[in-house]
Amino acid sequence: MSRRPALRAAVSVILAASFATTALTPAFAQRAVGARPDIATDEGGLWAQSDKAETEARSKAELNTDPALTAYVRGVSCKVAAEYCGEVRVYVMDRPYFNAQMAPNGYMEVWSGLLLRVRSESELAFVLGHETSHFAHGHSLAAWRDMKARANVGMFLMVAAGGGALGNLLYLGAVSGMFAFSREQEEDADQLGFGLATKAGYDPAAPATLWRALKAETASSDFEKVRKQDTRASIFATHPVTSDRIAALDKLAAGLPPAPAAEAERVRYRAAIRPHLAAWLADDLRRRDYGQTLHLIDRLAADGEDLGVLEFYKGEAYRRRRLDGDQDKALAAYVAASARPDAPVALWRELGDMQMKASAPDKARAAYETYLAKAVDAQDRWIVEASLKKINGTSGT
Amino acid sequence: MIRLMTLAAACLILAACTTTNVKSAAGLPTAPPQNAKVLVSQPDIELSVLTASGITEPRADWTASAKTYMQSAVQTELQGRAHKFTVLDPSTAMEGREGQVIRLNGEVGKSILVFNYGVLPLPTKAGGFDWTLGEGAQLLATKYDADYALFVYGRGSYSSGARVAMMIGAAALGVGLPTGGQQVFASLVDLKTGKVVWFNVSQAAPGTDMRTPEGATLLTKSLLKGIPL
Repeated sequence: MSRRPALRAAVSVILAASFATTALTPAFAQRAVGARPDIATDEGGLWAQSDKAETEARSKAELNTDPALTAYVRGVSCKVAAEYCGEVRVYVMDRPYFNAQMAPNGYMEVWSGLLLRVRSESELAFVLGHETSHFAHGHSLAAWRDMKARANVGMFLMVAAGGGALGNLLYLGAVSGMFAFSREQEEDADQLGFGLATKAGYDPAAPATLWRALKAETASSDFEKVRKQDTRASIFATHPVTSDRIAALDKLAAGLPPAPAAEAERVRYRAAIRPHLAAWLADDLRRRDYGQTLHLIDRLAADGEDLGVLEFYKGEAYRRRRLDGDQDKALAAYVAASARPDAPVALWRELGDMQMKASAPDKARAAYETYLAKAVDAQDRWIVEASLKKINGTSGT
Repeated sequence: MIRLMTLAAACLILAACTTTNVKSAAGLPTAPPQNAKVLVSQPDIELSVLTASGITEPRADWTASAKTYMQSAVQTELQGRAHKFTVLDPSTAMEGREGQVIRLNGEVGKSILVFNYGVLPLPTKAGGFDWTLGEGAQLLATKYDADYALFVYGRGSYSSGARVAMMIGAAALGVGLPTGGQQVFASLVDLKTGKVVWFNVSQAAPGTDMRTPEGATLLTKSLLKGIPL
């Protein structure tokens, strides 16, 4: 399944030719609205496990509990899911990877790494529509049956299946392993997701724009292995983006008029994620792929908003990367951030440290003093006070 | 972890003909005093079918029956004992911190199976039985006004007809394929300290199929045998 890129690439070359001439027609049956499977069936079993995983998700530490953000994402989901609105339940999880996943029972997770990379409500709407399509077309059940069928042919999957650990697997995003949707299912979900989002009035150009941005970010990775993967960067592994998927979306969008309120919904989207921007960027840095983080920050900064936060984290990325010249770049980013009203308080501490490294004690003093004035209750005040004393020539301890 | 449980199950099968194996906290007064308030959590059970190729597929209907039958068997078994029992409904209890404590019990129980039942003995656990859920268990004590909690946790699979045929075929070729099996454990937790004061595990044998009321009754009898309540 998802762990066989070489084979997949080969298959994609063969299939790409046929898609050039064949229109994509959904080969998956539409789920009846409100239908709950009989508990004595395989689908009933999957649903019961998913219900359990969903309950567990609600008490996970990673669950984002901001009511405003959750309401916003659920609102967009409802618009897109239309008749499935009552069955699709979205949870925002604070995890720095680009991922959204749909369990068989309609429990959907959207990860913060995805929300950070989506630029507008239209792009989000497409992703949510894509996931809703997995539900509406029963893709996970089909994938499960497909896996069983293949396992029956080759008994070697016995060990890999790992007993009854389905609940855990579902949870850990190893959905990618167990429920890796087939290429056809991903394309089907793209197509249906596109239809759902545009029907709800969203921008038809957004889906392809989002996939292109992911490809560009992949190409900016610090790691050659990731860059080479092109269509399948590590953090996008559950949703491999292939060129022909983008081409198919371009084809769908061709001839459709752009959404009239594109700028308004971009602004609305940024306002919804703004309170979390700093925390999510801090999480993203923990992936330690600074090339990708810097690319992401540039993309977020393109609209000229939130520059205090974005420039601070740009500085953080350079400071942590520590390649030749990064110290200067970090300092420049911190200085730029310091002129912005929305710069996080921590900026002044880091700016002070960086000015010290640059042998500019007067500038460092000013930064530290600003930090102490702004961060009244900070636990690390004593460290900054000690640094100040050192500059002022008194004992640092 | 499931694989470890399977290991544990296999070890239990090989080790003894008895199907239960009790552990009690050393140096603790394990028997709750008379009229102790005991919270009885509805059993956490998941059953599946072991298909011919060895994949286990969850069976919600078997799980639901087993939960119902085990729950009523546990209640019958506890009837008439000199304590006050209240039932904890997982449909409301699995949210938030409370749900985390209950899930933690499942994880601690699985660790007990692995480390105290001879699968992977830990040097630090050789001296006695000193497992605890931690002071977080007090949350349940406060919320439900209880002194102790009894948890029952079960996992297992049943071989499908095709699996049995496959096993017979493989056996004829000299290859042994694992069969399905079901295992339940019960733990009695002191909610003031979080300590697991009593623990028992039971391996289902023929006649103790928890998908039937009779089987569940027999399995529960062996599981709760000697519980200090």
